[in-house]
Formats: sequence, C-alpha cells, structure tokens
Amino acid sequence: MTTEELEQLLAQQPIALLHRLARGRVQRHFRAGKRRLIEVLLRHSAENRAGFESDLMTLIGEKPVHPAPPPPQVPTARKPKSTAPQRRSTHRPVEPESHEPGVTLSSWLEGLGVPPPKTFVPDAWQEDAIAKLREGDVVVSVPTGSGKTYVAIEAARRAISENRTVIYTSPLKALSNTKYTEFSKIFGADQVGILTGDRRDNGQAPLLIMTTEILRNLLYDAGGGEIDIRLDTLGLVILDESQYIADPERGVVWEETIIFCPSQARMLLLSASIGNPHDIAEWITSIRPTPCHLVRHSTRTVPLRAGYLHPNGKLTPLFRTVGIPHGHPSHLHPEAKRLFAQYEDETLPSGRRR
Amino acid sequence: MPPSIHPVDLIIALRDKHLTPAIVFLTSRRACDEAMQAFDHSHILLPPPRQAAIAAVLEKVIAQYPSIAEHPLIPTVQRIGVAAHHAGHLPSWKIAVEELMRHGCLDAVFATTTLAAGVDFPARTVIITQSSIRKSRDFMDLTIGEVQQIAGRAGRRGKDLVGFAIVTPSPYIDLNVLTKGFTGHPEAINSQFVISYPMVLNLLKAHPLDQIQPILAKSFAQFQLNQRAEVLQRKLDDLGDQMEPFGPRVCTDWITEWQTFDQVRRQKSHRAPIRRHEPPEVAARFHFLTPGRVVGFARGRGVVLRQYRSKGQKSPMITALREGGGITESPASTVTEVSDRILDCVDAPVYPWCTPESVEELLHHLEELPGRLPELPILIPKDNEPIPDAIVQTLGDFACPTCPSRSACQTDYPLASKLRQEQHRHVKSIQALRTSLWHRFQEKIDVLQQFGYLTPTAHLTEDGEWARLIRIDHSLLITELLRADAFNGADPAALAAVMSSIAHDDDRPGAFPRVSSGLASLLGQVRKLAVSLSPHEDPPLLRADIAAVTERWIGDPTLTWIGLCKSTTMAEGDIYRLLARTLEFLSQLHTLKATHPGLADTASRAIAALRRGVLEELP
Ligand SMILES: Nc1ncnc2c1ncn2[C@@H]1O[C@H](COP(=O)(O)OP(=O)(O)O)[C@@H](O)[C@H]1O
Ligand SMILES: [Mg+2]
Repeated sequence: MTTEELEQLLAQQPIALLHRLARGRVQRHFRAGKRRLIEVLLRHSAENRAGFESDLMTLIGEKPVHPAPPPPQVPTARKPKSTAPQRRSTHRPVEPESHEPGVTLSSWLEGLGVPPPKTFVPDAWQEDAIAKLREGDVVVSVPTGSGKTYVAIEAARRAISENRTVIYTSPLKALSNTKYTEFSKIFGADQVGILTGDRRDNGQAPLLIMTTEILRNLLYDAGGGEIDIRLDTLGLVILDESQYIADPERGVVWEETIIFCPSQARMLLLSASIGNPHDIAEWITSIRPTPCHLVRHSTRTVPLRAGYLHPNGKLTPLFRTVGIPHGHPSHLHPEAKRLFAQYEDETLPSGRRR
Repeated sequence: MPPSIHPVDLIIALRDKHLTPAIVFLTSRRACDEAMQAFDHSHILLPPPRQAAIAAVLEKVIAQYPSIAEHPLIPTVQRIGVAAHHAGHLPSWKIAVEELMRHGCLDAVFATTTLAAGVDFPARTVIITQSSIRKSRDFMDLTIGEVQQIAGRAGRRGKDLVGFAIVTPSPYIDLNVLTKGFTGHPEAINSQFVISYPMVLNLLKAHPLDQIQPILAKSFAQFQLNQRAEVLQRKLDDLGDQMEPFGPRVCTDWITEWQTFDQVRRQKSHRAPIRRHEPPEVAARFHFLTPGRVVGFARGRGVVLRQYRSKGQKSPMITALREGGGITESPASTVTEVSDRILDCVDAPVYPWCTPESVEELLHHLEELPGRLPELPILIPKDNEPIPDAIVQTLGDFACPTCPSRSACQTDYPLASKLRQEQHRHVKSIQALRTSLWHRFQEKIDVLQQFGYLTPTAHLTEDGEWARLIRIDHSLLITELLRADAFNGADPAALAAVMSSIAHDDDRPGAFPRVSSGLASLLGQVRKLAVSLSPHEDPPLLRADIAAVTERWIGDPTLTWIGLCKSTTMAEGDIYRLLARTLEFLSQLHTLKATHPGLADTASRAIAALRRGVLEELP
C-alpha cells in the first residue's frame, strides 16, 4: 500500500490499536495523541515497512467490533481519494440502521433540574438488604450513586445497638477518611474509630474504619491472639467497593478477608454493578456458616442521558433515544454521527484535511 | 478547529444549558492543570455571592488543613468556580475540592479517571474525553464496568432529576468503546488470587500443612476454577455417554487390544512400516499444546491459540501468539519447550482463535511471566514405538482374528479411540484445575524452606516467626535484608530512604536531590541482594533519586514541605504518597520490636521524624 493509504488506514484505527502497534517501536508512545502517534508510526514504518504492515493487519484482524478493514493488498493504481467512502463505513457500527430520526436537543434536555424536597424513604432494595442481613451475609450490587451507604449505616446502627462491634473497610485511605468524618457526624465522635498502619484514633470505639489490608492483617494476627482489638464481639464486617476483589494487585486481600472473617460476624459486601454478583454470593454461601443473599438491581435511580459535545460548542444527544438504548450501541443520533465523522476527518494527520 | 474543546468554551456551554456542576474527566494530570490555566485571563466570573460562598467553605477547610492555605489554584477556584482534582495534589486539597462540590459551590472539576474509583463526589454532568486509560505502562480501552463507573458520577440523588454523560472528542477517543460502555452489561469479574510469601507463612503459623488445601479451596479463585472444572466434567459426562456403545466386548479393554493387534498385524505383514510423520516426542507433546499453554520457541515465548493438522502440512501444526503480539503458525516441532503453565484463553471459532480480549490479556500475561518457567514433564509413550519383535512373533496369541466382534472393533476403533483420548485429556485438565492453587502454594513453601523460614516439615522457623509479620510487597527482599543485618547502624533517614525506594513502583522520571554517599552504598547492597532474589521475587525499582527525597525529609527536621517540594520535580501529591507508603513499610518494621528491638526503634524514630507538617494532617 502507498504511504498515503497506510496513513489513512492508521487514521481509521482506534487509538488503543495504535498504541499496541507502537509497543516496542516507539518510546513513550503512551504520551502521544492520535495524530502525533500516527506521524511517529509512519516515520518508524520506513525501517521495516513489510513487518509494520503485517503487524497492523494482524491487529486489525483481531478486532471484532469493526467490519472488515480494506484488504491489505490495495492495488497501487487505486487513487487515494477512492478510500474516502470506505473509511466512512469502517468506523460505522455494524448493526443495520433504521432511519428513525433522533430526538431533539430540547426534548433530550427536558426534565433537567432539581427534584422537590422529599422526606427520606428508603428504597425497597435498601430495606431488603438490611432485612436479609438478619438471616445471613449480604452482597449488594447496584449502580454507583444508588445509596449503598444508607445500608451500611443502618446495618451498623443495628449491630451497635445490640452491643456488637462493626468494622467498615474501604479500598483507599482517602475514602476511609471521608467515611470517618461522615460516620462521626452520624454516630457521634466517641462511637467511631479509625485504624491505619501506624496510627489508631479511638481504637476501642464500636465502629472502626480501616482499609481492607489493615483488616486482613488483624485477622491474621487474631489467629495468634496478638491483637488488642476484640474480635469476639465483632458482629458485622462491611466491605465497601468490594468490586476491588478483581483488582490485579490487591484483589487477593478481599479474598483473604472474606475467607478469614470470624464466623459469628455477618458480612455485608457493597459493590458497584458487576457482571456476576451471583458468583460472589454463591461463593460466600459455600464457605460461610449462613447463606449469603444477593441484592441487586441495574436501573439507575437518577436516569442517565448521553450527549455529544462538538469542539465548536455544539451539543447534541448521543443516541436517537432520550435515555440510554441498552443493548443497542449503534443507535446513534444522526447529528452526533455526522459531527463525529466530521471530527475524525478534520483530525486526520499531517494537515491532510478535507 | 482544535482537536478538543477549549475549557472556557466548555464551561460556557455547560452553564448555558444548565448542565453544571460537572466533572470533566481528562486524560492526564497535565491536561487538568492546563485546563485550569486556561481560565487565567478569562472573564466568565462567578457572581459575588457565589464567590463568597466558596471563600467561606475554603476558610473552614483551611482551618483544619493549613497546608492548602496558599494553594496556587485558589484564586481561579474562587473567581470562576472551577477546580482541578488529581493524584498530583495533596489529600487535603482534594478534600477541599470534594467539600466545595458537596456544597454545590463549583461549576466544574477537572479530574483524571482515578477519581471515578477514588472518591465519593457526584455531579449533574460528567464529561468524557477519552476511551482508554493507562494501566501498567500501556493504554487499555475502558471496560464497560469502567465506563459505567465514570458515568455513574452523573446525576445526584435528591439534587438532580436526570444525570448527563457527555462525550466530547479528543485525539484519544474511540466512540465505539464508549457507546458499548453506556449500553452494555458490565463484565463478569474474576479472581486475582496470588499466593505470596507472607500468606504462606501466616497460614502455616495458624494451621498445620494438611489443613492448607481445604483453606485454599475456600478462595474465590478455587470457586471459579471449580466452575471451569464443572464445565469440563459435563463434557466428560457427555463423552461417557458417547462411549456407551463402546463398552467391554469380548475383551474388557478392546480398544487397547485392537490397537496393539492392528499395529502388530501391519508390522508383521511387512507392508511399509507405519507411517509416522513425526517423531514420538513431537506426538507426545502435541497433546499438551492446547490453547493457553505457554511454550518456548528457538526465539522467544508464545501462547498456543489452537492446534491442528493440516492436509498440506504433514506435521501437526500450532497457531501461537508470540511475545510482541505476532500470531504465527508453525509445525509443532518448532516448539523447544513446553512449560507447566496454562494461561486463561477464551477460544473462538475463527482467527485469531480466541477472543480479542483474550489476545490482549494473554499478551499482557505473557510479558509478565517470570524469566524461567517450570517445564512440563512429558512421558514419551511406548505405544508409538515399534512393537518389540517378541510380541510380533506371538501374533497368534491375539484372539482378534477369530473373535466374533472383530468387525465391530475394526469399524469402531477410530471413533472409540478418539473419544477415549479426549476423556483422558479432560480428566487431566480437571485435575489440574482442582490442584493448581495447591501446587502454587507448594512452590512457595519450597522457596521458604530453601531460605530457612520453614522447616522441612513446613513449620515456621525462628526466622519464619517474625518474617510473617512483614506483609507488604517485596517481603522476601525485606526479610532477607534484615537477616543480612543490612540496617545495622543505619540511621532513621537511611532506613526510611531504603524503604521508600523499595515501596516506590513508578518509573516516571524527574529531577531529584542527590543521595548521600552512605545511602548510595547501602542501596548498592540492597540492589545486589534484590537481583540475587529475582528468581523468587521481582526486584523493586530501587530508585536512588526517590530514596534521596525521603532521606532529606527525615534527615533535616527543619526542612519545610515547600522546601522539600522545591527540591524535586515530583508533584506534591506523589511526594505525599511516597512518604505515606514509606510510613506503612516502617510501621511493619516497627512490629518486629520483640525480635529486632534496635531496628524497631530506628523505625519508630523514622516514623516520628516523617510524620510532621502535611503528613500529620490526616490519620
Ligand atoms: N432512599 C433514598 N432516597 C433518597 N436519597 C437517597 C436514598 N438513599 C440514598 N440516597 C442518597 O443518594 C446519594 C448517593 O448515595 P451513596 O450511598 O453515596 O451511593 P453509592 O455508595 O451507592 O454510590 C446520597 O446523597 C444519599 O443521601
Ligand atoms: Mg459508596
């Protein structure tokens, strides 16, 4: 293929693919933007053009989402211009397109605003989670912003009133600090303590906040009776953001914590939406004395809309529908589609704008 | 047109449509800082009452955290109502921005995606400018879960009727990734169980060796391995059903019987000897060249994606994903080494024979693999070798020629033997899935025994008793350093400095103060030991420049935070995190006071010296 054709082909590829192509070829490629990356790649391709093209074709072949790329052996006679319509189709989604017009911007924006103040009424799933905790452990998997903290607070309140201690863990020190402030306001400063590696504030309080690593260490030390925190009165362990169990480096800590959590304590796992929460619940059921209930839902409490903002300041809905068309990634709004195609054309490398 | 919208235009557009407050996710810290600078000469000021509200909130936060009183961003925050929030900032600054957001004082916060997982602050709108994020040195497309976590910040309960996630393009964007993320189901999550030295020591402290396997069986890792084993078990049951018609005949094991007879018969009849296209070791290996197997070639490693026998090629072939990302097809005989390691790989019916996510993951794992891998012991089966003459001579002993089921055996043999081979394969795989954690645990036991932390009966030695208290990364290096008395006579600054160079795993370059010569030679010693341990534990970066930052902070109690920050190009948030991590490492050393009183004392003096100023603001 000609350099020009190669350049166009590169321009049609998602940036992630370009980064993979750059691996081992270009230093610090992850710092470069798409345009720059294409320029550097092109320059580099001169060293071993055949190898470069074959790597590119291999990478393109791996991508399932996009329709087949133009064949690698482009006849040399082909004029560069003729590739233009082709590029248009490459980035378009595969699903057959219906010709429904998209919603208007004003109906997309409609309903924006502040809801009237309401007295707090817990959601059914929140009540459900708290009730199920009486019978056994609970895994909650709901979208971000649904109100998992409320479940944690009510469960902790109940355990404390029954003279049980509660441990609340979060994956990050920053989050622990926020919760320490928040919970101190709710329960009173004397009721809440925080533990870090080298510091302990109010370590005898009934509600203790720590990172999951600190709890894991406590559980290991408890085996040898070497700690001054009483685990025999422990009634509840809350693991917030427990989707971290899938973190490549730290995930194992969540597993250790769950495996070694004292059997008399209930476990409450709070997680953002994940694909297989039933696996987690089933696993916990299989290793703990009481069954573990799963509380999940996937509808956001505050509905979400997606939009597209063009660099020139023009705003348009991203999808044809007001809400998110679940399961239909290709139902793009015609205007968003047009503007994005225009954007991609104009940001082609080395000023080859059309 | 610029490649992405100008920050000032962005804020104007958002205000115009009542889409504030917004979180604007940008690709890098630098992009966030530059966005803030863009407002320096801007006139889109907030009305005075809102400026006053910001001042009031800031005043309260500053009272608690004096370190941010002079923060350079404060004027812009107050005038325009926008702020930046990323890992380069001090925790106290981030708390201030979070507090302002909670009070509804800001119109926008420029943040990196770490925020999506990090803190708790929602907004009416999120702006997304990227479709990939940097993960361990490489850019990776956002997963569906990640896109939803980011979009999840949009729409505050009780404050918004709807939330908005708005994509604005930058050269980093692939729109497909985002539309898939908005409309898809989050991915299933998988166990990331790793067996570390401290885990082995702590488990063996509390439980005898024969109870370990049941404990490992409680892991989510084993739960998921069992799920895979069950799938195979079902296939195996299926095969069992298919084998039904091929049960015992005149002889119980007629398949083997027929196989031997058939082979002997051919050898005897002096027809051309059985055509073997491959030497027996290639044939034996071929069984193990299954998808996911890590193999060695003359040059570099690869992962098998599929095996096949093609008509054109006489030899058995494999398709492999090679280091560097190439996919090659080659005869199985080019494999020089078959390792005892199988990587997860979701196969697909067409090229590249597994899902693209798998390719991505395999490549990643492949590059992460240690330099040496255990080799798979493979028995070269005898039955592929010519039958010894003695047996051939006794052809008459076979009942087959006159057996009533001879023709049935002859017809069924090819299918039956293929099914039986498959059965064997599945049985082996199931066994591997059930025992792999235990094998990994045993490998760690071996190393710990070799180093003298465990007795031959897998009890903790005297050294093992204290070593189990070191539960941080690079624990083997640290405990070996203690056993080598490397810190004998080291002052608190040197001890802390070494700990920080072990803790720090970022290779971002920059300018740093110089290390003292004493520290430099201590680091040299540490590096030597780390290299010698590398077959058992990946060595840390051990950057001397990083150590120097910590050495200065502890060595000079009059040094102010601002003074420290001026001595390096590291962002203050990074310095803070470095010192906080060092603190964590030091406090682990402090737990060794019973066995290493001198060291524990040095560690606690280092902790006291380290915890001052900014580092004392938060627990
Ligand atoms: N039942 C409810 N009714 C109204 N608002 C709620 C309810 N439950 C929680 N909230 C509010 O929702 C917001 C998000 O809650 P949070 O617990 O932080 O979410 P999550 O942890 O699930 O991401 C909070 O401001 C909280 O006060
Ligand atoms: Mg939460």
